[in-house]
Amino acid sequence: MAETYPINIWINEERFEKLQQAGLASMAKEKMAGLKVLPVPTNEEQKDKILKLFPMAKFDSATTKSIELLPREVKDRIFDLIIQKKTLDVIDDFIKMVEEERK
Amino acid sequence: MDNIGHGGKEIVERILPRDEAVKKVEELKQKGAPEIEVRRQIATEVIDIAYGFFCPLEGFMGKADVDGVCKNMRLADGTVWSIPIVFDISDEELSQKGIKEGTEVLLTYMGNPMALFEVSEVFTYDKQEMAQNVYGTTEEKHPGVKRTYAYKDKFLGGKITLLNPPKINPVFEPFFIPPLEMRKRFQEKGWKRVVAHQTRNVPHTGHEWLMKGAWFQTYGELPIDKPYVGVLVNAIIGEKRVGDYIDEAIVLAHDMLRKAGYFGEHNHMTSITFWDMRYAGPREAVFHAALRTNLGLTHHMYGRDHAGVGTYYGPYDAHNLLMSIQDDLRITPTFSMNWLYCPHCGEVTYEGLCNHKDEWQKYSGTLIRSIIIDGVKPPRLIMRPEVFDVVMECAEKYGFGSPFVTEEYLEKRTPVFTIEPLK
Repeated sequence: MAETYPINIWINEERFEKLQQAGLASMAKEKMAGLKVLPVPTNEEQKDKILKLFPMAKFDSATTKSIELLPREVKDRIFDLIIQKKTLDVIDDFIKMVEEERK
Repeated sequence: MDNIGHGGKEIVERILPRDEAVKKVEELKQKGAPEIEVRRQIATEVIDIAYGFFCPLEGFMGKADVDGVCKNMRLADGTVWSIPIVFDISDEELSQKGIKEGTEVLLTYMGNPMALFEVSEVFTYDKQEMAQNVYGTTEEKHPGVKRTYAYKDKFLGGKITLLNPPKINPVFEPFFIPPLEMRKRFQEKGWKRVVAHQTRNVPHTGHEWLMKGAWFQTYGELPIDKPYVGVLVNAIIGEKRVGDYIDEAIVLAHDMLRKAGYFGEHNHMTSITFWDMRYAGPREAVFHAALRTNLGLTHHMYGRDHAGVGTYYGPYDAHNLLMSIQDDLRITPTFSMNWLYCPHCGEVTYEGLCNHKDEWQKYSGTLIRSIIIDGVKPPRLIMRPEVFDVVMECAEKYGFGSPFVTEEYLEKRTPVFTIEPLK
């Protein structure tokens, strides 16, 4: 299976409630002393596109192999898509949405 | 504690009393001495020189010192020194202002008189050679190299005397403690040893444990009837880049670790030093040793990849370089591996202790920042709630809504210090 690079969406109570309602609570993992995180997978191509669309983001190649430092609003939109579509497989849709907006 | 600083030299503040300074400025103006309005980096280095942070330097380096520092990591007199402290100037400005050896120059900052610069040397230096020797690379993407290439064509060497001390803005004022004052404070606290914690970060518990570990290492064989060892957090305040933590959050969050009881008055202090990080890795580590020696510290904690950037330096290059010059230093390095969270142990532990290697959850600065960006409060084992709260408070009060530097912060923030009119 090809390697994936997660976007870590950190889960507070409000986000956890929405995940529960969408039946996705089990997708949240525990990380760093019990903190909940929703790792949204991206493939190599999606990772590169995200980093290009949001230059402030950073791929943490040293420690976590994840895409970090995406602004909160961006993560909120990805999270909302996940809740709406009830799946973590939303990155292509998200990229398309952003590209459309920027045309 | 004596006032002997790095290189075995006595620390002497090069600051003129106010009435004498006013007279000196009048005299300079009457004789039409040239004036140079300096940029922030130079202004901070003037302050560092004048207060003795850079002892034994009494001014900006001349060519022999620069050459010695670049090639042998030593000043011309043989004292270990790792980073050139230079005053650059363009050919145009040099001829326009008629500056030559022997000229007294009035340095101004924010339009107000700041310091007397007795120019004793005008020289050139190959910037590529400087970069290669100091940073081990000539690649411009290295921030220290980039800074070196941005220097103007000529350099001025000579002594500095501060005429107008800086006014430190209220958030930072209690934390600006120059070397001679710092030594008094250590004495008042009864600390026999003090270990430095270098920082540019808001502390998570990995940092807290680095400090606690260094405290244990430093305590060694000392008796435990009274607190004899302190940790000095010395935050480097200098050039900011978008995405860095804002200075206010760094300083106040570190201070909160003591206020909230994770340390106490008996073993912890927070302070600042003005300096633009060069990211020179091992050489910056040596520079930090000199700086903290001058502040009166006896020990300095060095973690993994101290002051490095990208992949220019190995994780323990700084340790190796420090060990190779230990006899020339008046400060003892304490070396540390990483602290991490082990879910099996259920605690923050040390790489060199815990053997649940497959379960380790390592701290990542980037990851912690990502959590903070999401506005999610980390568990107290990862970041203390009081620290998180003060970071978010700083975001509102000083960061225009963000704990990280934004363009707006760079444009509108209150400067850390100002130079007021001299009266």
